[in-house]
Amino acid sequence: MQPILRSKRALLLLALTGLVVLFMLMVPAGDGYVLHRTDGLVYAGGGGGGGSEAVSSEGAEAGKVEYPPAPKLKESDYPTISGINSRVFVWLVAQLHLWFAAFVLAVPIFVFIIEAIGMATKDERYDKMAYEFIKVSITAYSITAIFGGLLAISLMVFYPDFMKYLTLIFGDSFIWYALIFFAESACLYIYYYGWNAMKHGFRKWMHLTIGFLLNGVGTTLMLFANAWVTFMMSPEGVDASGVFGGNMWEAIHNHLWNPINLHRFIANVAYGGSVVGAYAAYKFLSATTEEEKAHYDWMGYTANFIAIAALLPLPFAGYWLTAEIYAYSQQMGITLMGGVFAWLFIVQAVLIGALFLSANYYLWCGMERSEGAYRYTPYIKYIGFVIVVCFLVWFTPHTMILTPSELKALGGQYHPILGPLGIMPAKNTAVNIMIIFTFLSFLLYRRANKIPTVSWASFGNGVQIGIFTAAMVNIMILGVYYGYFTNTVYKVASSVPQVVATLMVIVAGVVIDVFMYRGAKEVGPLKWGKMPERSQYALFLLAVSFTWLMGLMGFIRSAIRQHWHVYTVMRDNSVDAFTPTIGYAAKVVSVGTIIFMAIVIFIFWLSHLSGKKQTEYQR
Amino acid sequence: MRLLQFVIWVIISYLFFKLPGILMGKPIPSSLILMYMFFAVVMILLVMTSTEKSTRELLAPIKSMLEDPSKKLIRNVVFVIVPIVAGVITYEQIKPTYEAPVELRSTHPAPPSTIKIYGKTYDLLALENPYRKYEKEDPEKFKELVREGGEVYFKHCFYCHGDKLDGKGHYGQGFNPLPLPFQGKDTIAQLQESYVFWRIATGGPGLPKESTPWLSAMPIWEDFITEEEIWKVILFIYDYTGNVPRSWE
Amino acid sequence: MGNFIKVVVFSLVVIWLYVVFSANYIPPITPAPPPKEEVLDLSEMTMDDFLALGEKIYDGKGTCTLCHNPVMKRAPLLERTAVVAKERLKDPRYRGKAKTVKEYLYESLVDPSAYVAKGYGVTGTNDTVSPMPDVSKGAIGLNEVELWAVVAYMQKLAGVDITVEIPRGEAVAATEEKKEEKEEPARTPQAVLEKYGCSACHKMTEEGMDPGLGPDLSKIGAKRDKEYLRRAIVDPNAEITEGFSPMMPDTYKDQMTAGELELLVEYMAGQK
Repeated sequence: MQPILRSKRALLLLALTGLVVLFMLMVPAGDGYVLHRTDGLVYAGGGGGGGSEAVSSEGAEAGKVEYPPAPKLKESDYPTISGINSRVFVWLVAQLHLWFAAFVLAVPIFVFIIEAIGMATKDERYDKMAYEFIKVSITAYSITAIFGGLLAISLMVFYPDFMKYLTLIFGDSFIWYALIFFAESACLYIYYYGWNAMKHGFRKWMHLTIGFLLNGVGTTLMLFANAWVTFMMSPEGVDASGVFGGNMWEAIHNHLWNPINLHRFIANVAYGGSVVGAYAAYKFLSATTEEEKAHYDWMGYTANFIAIAALLPLPFAGYWLTAEIYAYSQQMGITLMGGVFAWLFIVQAVLIGALFLSANYYLWCGMERSEGAYRYTPYIKYIGFVIVVCFLVWFTPHTMILTPSELKALGGQYHPILGPLGIMPAKNTAVNIMIIFTFLSFLLYRRANKIPTVSWASFGNGVQIGIFTAAMVNIMILGVYYGYFTNTVYKVASSVPQVVATLMVIVAGVVIDVFMYRGAKEVGPLKWGKMPERSQYALFLLAVSFTWLMGLMGFIRSAIRQHWHVYTVMRDNSVDAFTPTIGYAAKVVSVGTIIFMAIVIFIFWLSHLSGKKQTEYQR
Repeated sequence: MRLLQFVIWVIISYLFFKLPGILMGKPIPSSLILMYMFFAVVMILLVMTSTEKSTRELLAPIKSMLEDPSKKLIRNVVFVIVPIVAGVITYEQIKPTYEAPVELRSTHPAPPSTIKIYGKTYDLLALENPYRKYEKEDPEKFKELVREGGEVYFKHCFYCHGDKLDGKGHYGQGFNPLPLPFQGKDTIAQLQESYVFWRIATGGPGLPKESTPWLSAMPIWEDFITEEEIWKVILFIYDYTGNVPRSWE
Repeated sequence: MGNFIKVVVFSLVVIWLYVVFSANYIPPITPAPPPKEEVLDLSEMTMDDFLALGEKIYDGKGTCTLCHNPVMKRAPLLERTAVVAKERLKDPRYRGKAKTVKEYLYESLVDPSAYVAKGYGVTGTNDTVSPMPDVSKGAIGLNEVELWAVVAYMQKLAGVDITVEIPRGEAVAATEEKKEEKEEPARTPQAVLEKYGCSACHKMTEEGMDPGLGPDLSKIGAKRDKEYLRRAIVDPNAEITEGFSPMMPDTYKDQMTAGELELLVEYMAGQK
C-alpha cells in the first residue's frame, strides 16, 4: 500500500479518535470511561484500534514500502485560526500534559515502594499513606488523558503535515501505545479500587504485583512518548532527506532516547514527590486535630524525602544528557550551552538553588520534632553558609550584565575574580559540594533523636568525617587543579570522578549510619505534627519551583531544535519558527504553571470533597 | 539581639561582596550584587528561623515595636521612615539618567556551522589548525611558526589587544566593547581554534545578532592577512598565554 | 480559607519573582531568526541567492576546481578572468563571437577553445585547442541557468560588477525543455570517451597527449582485467594508482548507461 494512503487512513483514525475523546469529555466522567493519552497522538479507542491493525498488516503484505522524503513546507501550509497562536497553544497543552503525566507516572512508583515497606514492617500507617497518595493521583490520571487528547487534536489541527510525516514513521507504535494505555488504565483502576479488597495475606501479594505491573506498563508508555520526542531531536532510521528506512526500532532507539528516558524517569519521581508534598502541606495547614496534623506532617516529610532523594542524582543524569547532545551534534550542543540559551541555564541554576534551599530549610525545621536535635542546631549555620556560597558560585554567570560605567572599569564583559567562577569546573565543584551538604543536613536530621549504642560509635563518626573531608578535598582538587590548570580534555573528564566522590559519600554515609544506629537509644518520642507553619511553605516553594523549572527545561529541550520540526530533516517554516526571548518563554511557562496549579487545587478540593461526605454519613 | 545580629550579618555579607571589587579597582557588577544579596539575606533568614526559639527572638523586637504601647514613639518614627525610604529607593530607580541602558552582549555567541572566507567554505565543526600538529611532530618548526605568529600579532593585533595580550592596547580603550584579553583561563582557553579562526577572519561584522546592539570594532581580517597568518597568530596567542585550545575528545 | 489564600498568594509571588528574574533582570536578547532556506524558485531568487547557486555549482556539480586550482596547475586560475576578459576580446588569438565580458565568460564554458590561455592548450596544438570539455554537455551537463550562475559567480570572484541578469521566463522555459529531451546513449567507444571527457585527465590513446591528472590508460589492457576496469569507473576511489590523488568523480555510475560502460571497458581492455 502507498505510504501516503496509509498515513491518510491513519490520520483519519486519529481524527475519529479525537472526536471520541471530545465526546467522552462531555459525558460526565465515570469510573469506566477510557481516554487515550499520547505525547503526540491519540489512537483509536475500541474499533479504531482494530482498524489500524488491519492497516498495518496490509502494509506488511505489500512488502517493502517506498517512503517519501520529509515534506518541504511553506508558510501557507500551516493552518491558522484567528485569535489563537498555534505555537503557544500547542506549547501550553503539551506542557500541561507533561506535568500531569510526570505526576501520574511518578506517584505509582513510590506508592509501590511505600506499600512494600508497609508490608515488610507491618506498619499500617504506610499502607494508609500509600493509599492516600494514589487517591490524589487518580483524578490527575483522567486530566492527563484529557490533555493528551487535546494535545493530539491541536497538533493535528495546527501542524497536519508534520503529523502526517510522524505517522508515516511511527504509525505502528501508536497502536501499541493505545494497547498499553488500555493496560495501564486497567492496572491503575484495579490497583486503586482493589486496595481495600486486597489488603491481607496472599491477596496483598497480588495487589503488590498489580502495582508492579502498573509501574512497568506506565514506564513503557513513557518510553514510547520519549521515542517520538527524541526522534524530533536526533532523528535516526531516516536518511538526510527524511526518507524512512522502514525500521521503526532504529527511529525509536535514537541517540537521545536513553538519556532522556533516564532523565525523565528520575525527574518524574522528584516532581511527583514535590507535588504530593504540597498536598500534604496544605492538608497540614488546614488540619484541625492533632492526629491529622501528625499524619500530614509525616506525609509531607516522606514526600519531601522522595523529592530530594530523586533530586540529588538528577544533575548527573542531566550531565549525561548534555554530553550525549554534544556527541550527537556539536551544533546542537553549542546552541544549548552558548548564546541565548546560556542565560536560561542561569535561570535554571537559580531555580535549582531555590529547590536546595527549601529542601534544606524543611529538614532544619524538622529537627524541632525531636528533643535530641538541640545538639545539632549550632551546625545549621555552617551548613547554611557553605550551601549559600556554593549556590552563589553556581549561578554566577560568565558573561556579566554590566552598566556601561562598570563595563569601562572592568575592561570587558568578564571579571578577573568572578570570571573563573563562571565556567564549568567551578560550577561542577559547587554543585557537588552543595549536594554533599544537603546530604549532611539529612544525616543530622536522621540522627537528631538518636544516640548510638554500638561500641564503635565514635570510630564510625570519625570514619564518616574522614570520608566527608576526603571527598570534599578530592572534589576541590579535581575542580580547581584539573579545571583551571590543565587543558579542556581533563576539564570535562574531571567531572566524572567528582560525581563518583559525591555518590561515594552518600552511599558510605548511609551504610555506616544504618549500622551505627541499629538499636540506637531514642532521646525522646518523635513529635510528628510539631512543625512550624512556615516550614510548610518550603514544601510549596519546592512544588512551585519544580513545576516552573520543568516548564522551562521543557522549553529548552524543545527549543534547541531551533527552526526544525525534525532536526536537520524536516524544517519548520511556520511563522512561529523563531526562537523566542527568555522573557517570553518565562511568561508562557508561568501562565502554564498557574493553570496547572489551579487544576491541581481543583483536584485536591475534589478529594477533600469525597472525604467530607464520608464523615457526614458516618455521623 | 537576634535582629541586630541579622542586620550585622547582612552588612557583613554586603561588604564581602562589595569590598573585593573596590579594593581591586574592578567593581563587582551591581546586578550581580543584587542577586548575591537577595540570596544571602534569604539564607540568613532561613538559618535564623530554622528553630522556633530563634524565630521568636528574631521577631520579638518587631512584634513589640508594633504592639507595645510604651513604644509608641519608635513606632511612629518607623512608620514615617519606612515609606520615605521606599519612596527614595523608587525615585532612584526610575529617575532618568544619562547612563546608557544595561546591555547584554553575548561575547562568545554560538558559531555558525560553516563559514565562507577566502572564497572557500569551512566546516567550523571539523576545522583544525593545520600547524597544530607540529607541536609534537616538529617542535623546532613549531617554535618558528609561533615566532612568525608573534610577528603577525605585533604588526596587526597589539594596537588594541595589548603587548601583554591583556586587551589593554593603546587604541583599545576607545572601543566599546573593549578588546578581549587573551590572558586568563576564561577566554581563548574555553574555545576551539576553529572558533578563534572564525572570530579573527570575520571580525566584528561577522558576529551574529545576539552579539549586537552594535558590532565590535574588530576588523574583518580576512581582507588584510592570509589564512596562514591567522593560523600562526592563533598559535602565538595560545602559546604566549600558556593556554591550550579546547578540544572535544 | 485564610490558609488557602495565603498559599495561593505565596505561590503567585514565587512565580512572579521567577518571571521578574528571567524577563527583567536578564536584559532581553532577541535570538537570530531562522536562516533563509535555499530558494529553488527562480522568480523569487535574489542576486545573492543566484551567486550562492553559482558558487555551489563551481565547487560541486561543475567540478571546476578539479583543474582550476592552485595545487595542480592544470588550468588557469579563474580569480581574475572576468577582469582580463576585456583584453582577451581584443586579443588577435581570440576566435569567438562574444562582444561583452559576460558573453565571453559564457562562451568559455561552452566553447573552451575560442580562447586558450597561454601554456594551457593541448600539447602540440600551440594553444589553439583547450583540454577543457564543454560543460553544458556530457558528464557535467550544466543547464542554461546554471551556466549563467557560474558566470555571475566568476564576476563576483574577480570583484567586478555583476552584469549577468537572473534568467527568467523564456530562458527558464528553455532550461526545462532541455531537461525533457533525453540524451542518446553513445554507440562507439570514441563517442563514450568524448561524452564523458575522459581525455581531460587521462592519456587515452598512443597518439593522444598526457594531461597527467590521471594514470596513462593508453596501454591499460595489458595491466588490468575487465573486472578491475569496471570497478575503477563505477567506484574510482576503491583503489588509487600510486602517485595519483583520489580526484576522479564517482558520479559515472549514475551517468553512464550499462551499454556505455561495457563499450568503454571492452575498449580499454583491448588497449595493449
